[in-house]
Amino acid sequence: MASDDETGKEPAPAAAPGRRLDRRDLLLGLTTVPALGLFGYAWWRQREYEQVQKASAGGAKKAAANLKEINVALLGAGAQGQVLLDSMLRIPGLRFRAVCDIWTEYNQKRAVNTLRKFKFETNGYEDYREMLDKEKELDAVVIATPDFWHARHTVDCLKAGKHVYCEKEMSNTLEGARSMVLAARETGKLLQIGHQRRSHPRYLHCYEKLLGEAKILGRVVTVNGQWNRAVAPDIGYPERYAIPDARLKQYGFKSMPQFRNWRWYKGLGGGPIVDLGSHQIDIYNWFLDASPSYVMASGGNDYHDPATHEWYDTVMAVYEYETKAGRVRAYYQTQTTNGSQGYFENFMGDQGTLVLSESEANYPGFLYRDPNAPPWDEWVQKGWVSAPKVQEAKPEGEEVALDVRESVSPDLHRVPVVLRDPYHQPHLENFFDTVRGEAKLHCPAEVGYETAVTVLKVNEAIEARQRVAFRPEEFRV
Amino acid sequence: MNEEARLSRWAMTSIVLLRVLIGWHFLYEGVAKLQKPSWSAAGYLLQSRGAFSPLFRWMAADPNVLAVVNPLNMWGLTLIGLGLVLGCFTRTASAAGILIILLFYLCNPPFVGYFYSIPMEGNYLVVNKNLVELGALAVVLTTGSGRVCGLDRIIHRLLRKRARPA
Repeated sequence: MASDDETGKEPAPAAAPGRRLDRRDLLLGLTTVPALGLFGYAWWRQREYEQVQKASAGGAKKAAANLKEINVALLGAGAQGQVLLDSMLRIPGLRFRAVCDIWTEYNQKRAVNTLRKFKFETNGYEDYREMLDKEKELDAVVIATPDFWHARHTVDCLKAGKHVYCEKEMSNTLEGARSMVLAARETGKLLQIGHQRRSHPRYLHCYEKLLGEAKILGRVVTVNGQWNRAVAPDIGYPERYAIPDARLKQYGFKSMPQFRNWRWYKGLGGGPIVDLGSHQIDIYNWFLDASPSYVMASGGNDYHDPATHEWYDTVMAVYEYETKAGRVRAYYQTQTTNGSQGYFENFMGDQGTLVLSESEANYPGFLYRDPNAPPWDEWVQKGWVSAPKVQEAKPEGEEVALDVRESVSPDLHRVPVVLRDPYHQPHLENFFDTVRGEAKLHCPAEVGYETAVTVLKVNEAIEARQRVAFRPEEFRV
Repeated sequence: MNEEARLSRWAMTSIVLLRVLIGWHFLYEGVAKLQKPSWSAAGYLLQSRGAFSPLFRWMAADPNVLAVVNPLNMWGLTLIGLGLVLGCFTRTASAAGILIILLFYLCNPPFVGYFYSIPMEGNYLVVNKNLVELGALAVVLTTGSGRVCGLDRIIHRLLRKRARPA
């Protein structure tokens, strides 16, 4: 082999003047060309993986052509109704016939005007019964009224032969929620409850692919989640558009401030644990494929004025689940005094961790592979998770000592699924697709009911000041 | 020329390997940018700190300058990469590589006391990976490995052949 004593000999003689181009020159001249081929091959493979990831992130859109038009009414055109309307205006094949809201001077007018701008001949109603009487062509009603109206609105719409999309929480009482399930069954009409994460492509990807097929987290033992929200002033209203007292009372409200801030009042809403927690505790049930056996909770009105905030502004709850894989403890907190770290759900198994939320800005799907878990190369190649970013165990900046007993930081992957549409759009699309007979509801009445039982029990546990048991039959109607 | 040729076989093989690896890196950086239709150096240039930052920010601010800088960067990196991998116009490619790396280095020099908004990978107190690559290219530049193992060998021979009758 080559050694120092060869120094001085020409290892591969460079061109000497006068010598002709021979085979040796050609061979040596082209020696490194295969490196280019190797580069091309590596590049092609890399592109393939990237394309697979892109494809799994995108989700194909259906063609808008030849859609059977669905006649829709919006019942409840407040803040949430507006959010749903904005999403629906992006969905092809809908014809908006009516808007019903008791705040005719403001919310109703705004929604009707918006729809007229989009060239829909839309009628405004104050009383939903009048709307159901007059609008015979309606196929579906989208309900976004305060929780205590959900049961009556939904049941009456179903009985009038309309399919219903009803915002969560299904109802502020279990009796109300039960009547909704029964009405859906009786009439054979569709009832979708607005737990919109159930149709979010990232959540579906995690549920079907990562937890279902890949079982990427191993055995999930603990779950935690939160919705932290900063202090917000009470919602106001323009004085000159105030609803007359008589009308407010007719529809169950004491005053204009109470009408605007109904979520905080007992008998009207369920407080932050229901408004916010319900979305995420629903994911606990879904992803764990189980209903809880017990819950204990602590909560109270620790900050806000109890005269205007009857429900608990701070709630911390711990559920116990008996899943097929074993026992799981799941913590949830919601507080309305500090918005740090926002909202997310965090599933922790013995092989990995999944932190996700519906937001694209915060916690848009982080996966941590435990260093002891089998490699996830297969899932990276399939495009189910992104390539890892290896975590540095060394903290940045100042000199700090790390204890040898600390676990090695796991590698960070991402869930490569992005939702570019408004959060509620996929869930509404799922509803309308089902109306056309082309899909299956992602959150039918029975599922919404299970979640209502799971969530409403927290308020009960706070009052009882003890661990409260769920009976399995409680979750069924 | 003779000095270069006197390197041992192993030394020359190592230098060829070094050349191909650096070329691979350049080629990747260039092709990756060419693949992204919206790629622009503006973001990187605007991050510039230190004594030369006005120059780099000027490049980023003027769309006319940027219209030259962007393709120059993308195609420059790609062609330098090809040149180094294939050993084709090796000296020119090495010199151009050194120049472009020097620009990267000066755009964000890792001098003591400069704190950056974006932490750069591979900084070791004044020396960073850019500077190490620059040094390696200096070796490639001065050892003419393309004429031993690379297309330069063929080009050189053909040119000489043509020159001989004169």
